[in-house]
Amino acid sequence: MWLPGQGRSRFGFTVNYQFDWEPILESRALILEGLATTILLSLCALALASIIGVIVGTLASSRHKGARLGAAAIVELTRNIPLLIHMYIWYVGLAFLRLPPFLCGVLGLSVYSGAYVAEIVRAGIASVPDGQNKAALATGLTRLQALLLVVYPQALRIVAPSLGNVFSQLIKDSSLASAIAVMELTYQASAIEGQTFRTFEIYITICALYLLLVSAVTLALRLLAGPRDDAPAQELASA
Amino acid sequence: MPDVISQNMPFLLQGLVTTLRIAALTAIGGTLLGLAVGVAVQLRLPFVAGLLRVYIEFVRGTPLLVMLFICYFALPALMGLHVTAEQATVLGFVLFIAAYIAEDVRSGLRSIGSGLVRAALATGLTRLQSLRLIIVPLALRRIIPALFNQYVRLLKFTSVASVIGVQEFTGSAMLVNARVFAPVSILIFVALTYLVLCLLLSSVGRVLHAYLAA
Repeated sequence: MWLPGQGRSRFGFTVNYQFDWEPILESRALILEGLATTILLSLCALALASIIGVIVGTLASSRHKGARLGAAAIVELTRNIPLLIHMYIWYVGLAFLRLPPFLCGVLGLSVYSGAYVAEIVRAGIASVPDGQNKAALATGLTRLQALLLVVYPQALRIVAPSLGNVFSQLIKDSSLASAIAVMELTYQASAIEGQTFRTFEIYITICALYLLLVSAVTLALRLLAGPRDDAPAQELASA
Repeated sequence: MPDVISQNMPFLLQGLVTTLRIAALTAIGGTLLGLAVGVAVQLRLPFVAGLLRVYIEFVRGTPLLVMLFICYFALPALMGLHVTAEQATVLGFVLFIAAYIAEDVRSGLRSIGSGLVRAALATGLTRLQSLRLIIVPLALRRIIPALFNQYVRLLKFTSVASVIGVQEFTGSAMLVNARVFAPVSILIFVALTYLVLCLLLSSVGRVLHAYLAA
C-alpha cells in the first residue's frame, strides 16, 4: 500500500492521507449495482433522446415555416434550462404525478439531451445534398421513404462523431440523477463515502468507471459509423 | 408574478448574485487556464504536453458532479485543507471547463494557416511574439462561438453547485420551496430566469463574433 510522505510539504499544508482500498473492494456490490443503474438510465435516456431528437430535428428542417419555428422554440427552451432544473421539474414540480425517481431521471435527461440531438439531426439533414432527396422522390419513393432510406443513413454517417459527443455527455450528465435520489453510480459513491470515509479512493474509482463507459460509447459509435470515407457521397453529389 | 416569488425576491436575488459571481469567476479562470493548456498542448511542449493531454482526457470523461465532489471532499481530505463549498465549486468548475476550452483553443490554433505563422516569423517577430500578437488573437476570434457555448454551459452548470450546498440561485429556490411548497411557480420562475440569462449570453457571443470576426 502506498503511503504518501508524512509531514509538511513546501506548499504549507500537511499531506498525511493514507490510502486504503479495502473498503472500496468490500463495497463492490453497491458500486456494480450503481454502475448497472447508470447504464440502464443512460440507455433509456439515449433511446428516448434519439426519438425526440429525430422528430424535432426533422421538423426543424421541414419546408413549413411553422414547423421550423416550433422546433427552434422547443430546442431553445429545453437547452437553455439547466439539466438539474429539468430533473426537479419532473421530480418536484410534477410531484402529483408520483413518478418514480428513475423515470424522472430518464425524462429529464432525454428531454434535455433531445434538444442537442435535434440540433445535430438538423445539421446532418442539411449536410445531405438536396439532390439526393429530389432524386429519391423522382424514383417514386414517398417522402417518408426518402427520409428513412436515403437522407437519414447518409446524415447519420456525417454526424456520427457529434452524436458520440452528445451520448458521452449524456452518460456523464446522468450523474445528476443522484440529486433526485436515483441510486446510480454517483449516488452509491456518496453513500459509500459516507460510510467508509475513503473519499479519494471511491471518487477515483467511479471516475475510472465513467471514463470506461464514455470511451466504450465513443468507440462503439466510431465502429458503427465505419471508416470516414465520404467519397461515395461526394461522387454522387457531383455526378 | 405569484406571491411566493415576490415575497421571497430578496432571497432569490441574493442566490442569483452568487450564481452570477461563480459563473463570472469560473468563466475568466477557465478561459485563462484553458488558453494556457491549449497553447501548451498544441505547441507540444516536452513533458508538459503529455501530462496536460491526460488531464484533458480525464476531465472530459468525468461528470461535473464527480469533479465537484473531488474538489469539495477528496482534495481537502488528501491535503488536509479546509475549503468552503463556494471555493470548491469555483475550483471544480475552472478545472472542468478549462479542459473543454483547451480543446476549443487547439482547434482554433489548428485553423490558422502555416503561411501566416511563417509570415509572422519572417517579419522578425520571435516565436513567443508571433504567438502572442498574431496567432493567439486570431485563433481566439475564430473560436468565440465555441467559447460562448462553454460559457452558456457553465452558467447552466452553476445549478449543480446546489448539490454540494452552495446557496446559489437553484439552491435558494429549492430552499424557498422547502419552506412554502409551491414547486410549480418556483420552478417555472427559475427555469425562465436561466432561459433569459442563457439567451442573453449567447446573443452577446453572436454580436461579439460578428463584430470581431469580420
